[in-house]
Amino acid sequence: MISREHGKFRVTVIVDRCKECGLCIAICPVKVLVRSSIENKYGYRPPEPSDIEKCIGCKLCEYNCPDFAIFVEKVV
Amino acid sequence: MAVESINIHPLDKHLRVDRIPTLYCPGCGIGITLGAMLRALDKRINEGLIDPNKIVWVGGIGCSARTVFYVRYDAAHVLHGRAIAFATGVVLANPELLVIVVGGDGDIAGIGGNHFIHAARRNIDIIVVMITNFVYAMTGGQVAPTTPRGVKTTTTPMGNPEPPLNAIKLVLALNANYAARASVTTPHYIENFFYKALGIKGFRFIEVISTCPEIYGRHIGLRDPVEMYNELKKRVKYKPKPSIEDADIDWEKGIIIGEFLERNNPSYLELLRGVYGK
Repeated sequence: MISREHGKFRVTVIVDRCKECGLCIAICPVKVLVRSSIENKYGYRPPEPSDIEKCIGCKLCEYNCPDFAIFVEKVV
Repeated sequence: MAVESINIHPLDKHLRVDRIPTLYCPGCGIGITLGAMLRALDKRINEGLIDPNKIVWVGGIGCSARTVFYVRYDAAHVLHGRAIAFATGVVLANPELLVIVVGGDGDIAGIGGNHFIHAARRNIDIIVVMITNFVYAMTGGQVAPTTPRGVKTTTTPMGNPEPPLNAIKLVLALNANYAARASVTTPHYIENFFYKALGIKGFRFIEVISTCPEIYGRHIGLRDPVEMYNELKKRVKYKPKPSIEDADIDWEKGIIIGEFLERNNPSYLELLRGVYGK
């Protein structure tokens, strides 16, 4: 599990559920996500929230992930 | 590495997490549809309108129908095309249950087409979600009743000569209470329409235009999930009050999504109670 956060939002990627379709990376309006270099147990490379400071919490990645592998939470 | 037995994702309480990852190809739209449906269901459960112990999911055969494998509710996986027939039996045996039928275009409009017509005619109290990907994907991409004209499939290598069946137009001609079309590129609309459908009685039908990059995408030259998603997104347009003519699916001219039908006809259970007085 990869989890990154800044003052407002936390983005969590459940590594072993990812199938590397790339929808979250393409859909993100502020380009927070990049494909990481690690591989999960099925050999797919999950996304990584590298530019987390840019995240605006729109949850488009969460809504468009077909495999329930990424979600965004508000940091309280 | 993630521990799969504990709930991590906000929707995990509705899912059988031990069966995830799903068998769907990378980039398949069915997972997006399922997520949007579960969010709507979650909202209704939180409102107290729906008892989570009184939900039944029914699926036939096909990729889309397998969504019932992944939800943490009572679910039935039945014969090919007979999901609506089974759901009719469930709701007549116990009218308190909320019955959700999920299936693909081949399962509901193709093989189960007759059940679909007569369930809509009788206005039976079920929700039908048809995930349209335009081919029989699980068996290798044969031509389906919803395949648009001219598309090359495994069984129509020179292009499909048949005009497609339009499920929305079919439902509009019958006695159903709700018909809407959404697309996986607009998961918020799937959520809103399903949320609305959960609050009304009678036959409710939602068609979801899905991406199938592996099978349909291969035939139309959009093999990459992101490429196919963006291509579908360009063609999908929301219209607030679409007319019957807008229901036509034309890959070149664009696909109109929206709520095509909202009626308040008496449902089948109400009609039965009228006859038997109970």
